[in-house]
Amino acid sequence: MEHIERTQIKVSPKNRLIGWGLVWLGVALCSLGYIVDAREAAFNNVLNFLFLAGIGIGALFFLALEYVTGAVWSVPIRRVNEFLAWLVPFAALLAIPILFNLDTVFAWAQKNIAASDALLRMKEPYLNRSFFILRFFGIFIVWIMFIRLLTRNSMRQDATGDQRLTKINTILSAIFMPVFALTLTIFAVDWGMSLDPHWYSTIYGIYFFSGTATASLAALTLVTAVLYERGFFPKLRRDHFYNLGALLFTFVNFWAYIAFSQFMLVWYANLPEETSWFIARWHGGWEYISIVLILVQFAVPYFVLLPQEAKMNIRTLRRMAVWLLFAHALDLYWLIMPAFSATPPLGWMEISFPILIAGVVLIVLGWQVQNLSLVPVGDPKLKRGLEFRL
Amino acid sequence: MNMAQKENLYAITGLFDSPDAVLHAAEETEKAGYTKFDVHTPYPVHGMDRAMKLKTSKIGLFAFAFGLLGAVCAVLFISWVTIKDYPLVIGGKPFWSWPAFVPVSFEVTVLATSVLSTLAMIVLYFKFPNNAHPLHDTPYMKSISSNRFGIAVQADDPKFDEKEVTGFFKSLGSKEIAPVYFVPADQDMRPALFDPKFLGLLLVIGLTASAATYFTLNKILYLPPFDWMMVQPKLKAQQPSSFFHDGIGMRPPVEGTVARGYMPYPYKGKPEEAGKYLINPLFPTKEVLDRGQQKFLTYCSPCHGNFGRGDSRLQGQFPNPPTLLSDKVRSWPDGSIYHVITEGQNAMPSYASQVSREDRWAIIQYIRALQRAQHAHESDFK
Amino acid sequence: MTTIDYTQEPAITIGVVTSAEIDAAISAPLDRFPSRRWWIAFGIALMILSMGLASVTAILFKGLGLMGFNQPVAWAFDITNFVFWVGIGHAGTLISAILFLMRQRWRNAIARFAEAMTIFAVICAGMFVSVAHLGRVWLAGYLLPYPNQHGLWINFISPLVWDVFAVSTYFTVSLVFWYLGLVPDFATLRDRTRNKHKKLAYSILSLGWRFSNRHWSHYERMYLILAGFATPLVLSVHTIVSFDFAVSVLPGWHSTIFPPYFVAGAVFSGFAMVQNVLIGMRKFFKLEKIITLKHLENMNKVMLATGMMVGYAYAVEFFMAWYSGSQFERFVFLNRALGPYAWAYWIMVSCNVLFVQLFWFKKIRTSIPAMFAIGVLVNVGMWFERYVIIVTSLSRDFLPSSWGHFSPTIFDFGVLALGFGLFFTLVLLFVRFLPSVAIAELKGVMENAQPHYHE
Repeated sequence: MEHIERTQIKVSPKNRLIGWGLVWLGVALCSLGYIVDAREAAFNNVLNFLFLAGIGIGALFFLALEYVTGAVWSVPIRRVNEFLAWLVPFAALLAIPILFNLDTVFAWAQKNIAASDALLRMKEPYLNRSFFILRFFGIFIVWIMFIRLLTRNSMRQDATGDQRLTKINTILSAIFMPVFALTLTIFAVDWGMSLDPHWYSTIYGIYFFSGTATASLAALTLVTAVLYERGFFPKLRRDHFYNLGALLFTFVNFWAYIAFSQFMLVWYANLPEETSWFIARWHGGWEYISIVLILVQFAVPYFVLLPQEAKMNIRTLRRMAVWLLFAHALDLYWLIMPAFSATPPLGWMEISFPILIAGVVLIVLGWQVQNLSLVPVGDPKLKRGLEFRL
Repeated sequence: MNMAQKENLYAITGLFDSPDAVLHAAEETEKAGYTKFDVHTPYPVHGMDRAMKLKTSKIGLFAFAFGLLGAVCAVLFISWVTIKDYPLVIGGKPFWSWPAFVPVSFEVTVLATSVLSTLAMIVLYFKFPNNAHPLHDTPYMKSISSNRFGIAVQADDPKFDEKEVTGFFKSLGSKEIAPVYFVPADQDMRPALFDPKFLGLLLVIGLTASAATYFTLNKILYLPPFDWMMVQPKLKAQQPSSFFHDGIGMRPPVEGTVARGYMPYPYKGKPEEAGKYLINPLFPTKEVLDRGQQKFLTYCSPCHGNFGRGDSRLQGQFPNPPTLLSDKVRSWPDGSIYHVITEGQNAMPSYASQVSREDRWAIIQYIRALQRAQHAHESDFK
Repeated sequence: MTTIDYTQEPAITIGVVTSAEIDAAISAPLDRFPSRRWWIAFGIALMILSMGLASVTAILFKGLGLMGFNQPVAWAFDITNFVFWVGIGHAGTLISAILFLMRQRWRNAIARFAEAMTIFAVICAGMFVSVAHLGRVWLAGYLLPYPNQHGLWINFISPLVWDVFAVSTYFTVSLVFWYLGLVPDFATLRDRTRNKHKKLAYSILSLGWRFSNRHWSHYERMYLILAGFATPLVLSVHTIVSFDFAVSVLPGWHSTIFPPYFVAGAVFSGFAMVQNVLIGMRKFFKLEKIITLKHLENMNKVMLATGMMVGYAYAVEFFMAWYSGSQFERFVFLNRALGPYAWAYWIMVSCNVLFVQLFWFKKIRTSIPAMFAIGVLVNVGMWFERYVIIVTSLSRDFLPSSWGHFSPTIFDFGVLALGFGLFFTLVLLFVRFLPSVAIAELKGVMENAQPHYHE
């Protein structure tokens, strides 16, 4: 078996400077935002927190999926998912300011709301501040535990090449799957659905998953493509990229399917307690966002990624990955912001948080690539993965 | 080998034992400059397309085009049906209910692309069905369909030379090289489309289908049990009925039946109360007066004359009513005039069935205008 | 812990199997006269089928009242069976199309059989909606949009019409996909057989296929495209079936999660049925080397995954019913667990959520009697899931004065027999007359079937 070299990337001081610069600029702007208008800042905080946490835990999902299905084609790029997964604890840090501002964001968190709102009174055993914070910590503890276990085994395998670690990770991944389903649903219900506490939809957790998974996949594709174009993945082939493209295409379709199902069922039954949510997104300027969302998250990626050649073209994939990340941000904006304002907000605060998370992503990825081999050299499936052909 | 057989040569075939061997052989054949050759394998061998330098199949474009066609046709058809040809309000939804059109349109798209592309591939690309090809029933084909791999170089290739090709295959490692000939009998079978037996079969199918459809729809559906709902014991309009003593199915409404929207006139036979309590709900606006004028001219002018003077063309043939412009009528409250229109007075019958309640009030406004015209003030002319 | 060597590609067959052996093994049942076991099985299937046909004939003459329908429970066994059989069909397309797209080579040995089961399952499902519950079955043509003198069109807004298009499209496309896969196999059979009549039949059916690579190139592309279309199709069909319920306002029916929940449930029950039938088939036809324990184990893993998705949906629906604060929603779930149909509900939960968890253990995943039993339980559980959804929500909805009860009659059970009888009759006919494993596809994934790359 030919020996595959460890690939470790040295992050240049310039890139490190950019990363930290963005972080500090972001922190400054966000703090200013909280001082100027705590409510708008808190909502933007929620949006970006969900964006970052989603990409991170989505990456862990794909990692687990690779182990559970026994896939080989993604083994050479698995480390990228591990890097992305480590965004999760930093996303949790990002949520801390929100925990101190719960009543500005969540209607149900306001003091004495139960006195005036009978429906919220009925939901009070679930929608109360203590239980909410408990769930937040519980979910992140569970997620970070799985991230640590899975990535630690993968790291150990680099040194020992022990095949039993693959078996252990496979079992851990299988256990993670149902845990992920339940925790992500609770996460989505808590941070997304309860923004409009009178409304409910049983598919909401799956909807959130579809958008999150697409974004994680886009992040994986983007990082892989950028590193490949810089020469760090010399042995990857169009065959590997085709699979990434095919997965992106699949998840774009999956998002559209879930989004349409939710919309059509609410539209058809026409029950006021359900339609209110969509009606809010059809007035005051939100209708334009709704239409743009369909175009950006479904129509354009569908036709761009439909031809087989496009799925293999690395430049197309790189551009589509960036596009889909913006599309997911728009999706979250459309989910969250109507609870903040009846018209779509756009100001400096909407940009300050993305600056912060851009910096966080650069710093975290930079830290990870320096410590770990880019390619999991100890993985027994690595050779088969590199030899993978369509 | 005699000359007749030589002219009938279709191709020289060579069998190989492994996919690697046939792949290499295919590459060499293509490099050697042969164009009319084909590779035969019991299953698709990876890399063969590249070895033969085949262009990527364009069947995907067909699939896309058919899918688009299906989608567009479905959406247009459903829209035409639900908006133009047979619009129904379903569940309070608008006629253009695009979310409800999506499922059917999607299904039709998939159906169109799957069926039509497959048909296009089979008929246009493969030119199937074709069981008269020279390779059928040869030992070569029997090996291929089981577990061997082969190449056939056709005799009509410009570079074809029997000895050369045989030697070429030998050099590539083929152990079984054999010629394949056209079978004369098969060649006579084209074109099969106009074969009298085939046309006869089509005719028989057509006749049988027509007869079956005719009998089913015109005869069988009228037999029991299929006709059980055609004759129903319920009473339909204008049917006789032995249940009623006069044998008539349709019955007049029962005594005391009230029409929908019917409201009784509260001042029946009470002209004074009508005058006292009824108030004209309409104001003398231009619309009301125009309407009053129109209705007055229609219903009242035959007796009362065009201006209410009682001087209509019925003079002499029918007793004329007194003028409406008299002081007496001017002093009547609106309600009294309303009562007269509703109940009639002396020779005047009730106009309640011809003039709606609102129209009656409009007419009264008009009469007031006529009366005012007769006794105008100086200020009216400004 | 049993050791797996991850550096090696997992074996698809037990030992090396050559193309000639595949030909012999798969065409053998077609060449010889069917065995006694086949006749006994066929006899039983025909008997069950005739019970079903007798019921359906009685219903045609006497009317739907022979079954247990009433107001408010206007749908019961008929729609339960319809959804059940459409769901079973989905496993076939998943194995055939989706596993193909995921390039899982182990699917090749079982794809043909699974695809055939899809077609038969869809036929059975079609029986239920167009024969067993339509009343005036001879007017079934009214379901299609044809121009007529009344100036009438079908109601495109109704999910029942969407069903007509979905199920008929699913049937047609599955048939086309299945037939396309059969063409090379018919050619192989044509070249093997010595019987003149069979040769004629196989020649016509194979369309004259010559195994030319110029044809394989288009064929493979078309197969990929069909698989690519069959995948969203299969999702859409059960989604549209779920819309039959979800577009209503009935609590317990109107729930946005129904589409993916139904699709997961369909794959779940479908795999259980395929697994059960494959266990029987590989034993009878001695195909254990080709349809291995690994195939069955993989199917059990899929069952575990989809079973957990179904369990997830139960949990989410239950939570949301409480979260909604609606007394009607909350009542539906209390009624399911504690009301008059609680026995059906608990069968459903134990079979779908509990017993299938046994597949976490490798010993059970690889034990044929255990997995067969769990497969049967899963099918029972999934049948009851549809029964619970339909009957409990209808029997007790908003107004207590409208509540009613449903009891099945002998004719309901007769129609249930129709489904199973028809399905197994068709399966037995299939294994008698057609190659039940895709010969060409299987040859293509054997060891040494593909050239080695020289890089």
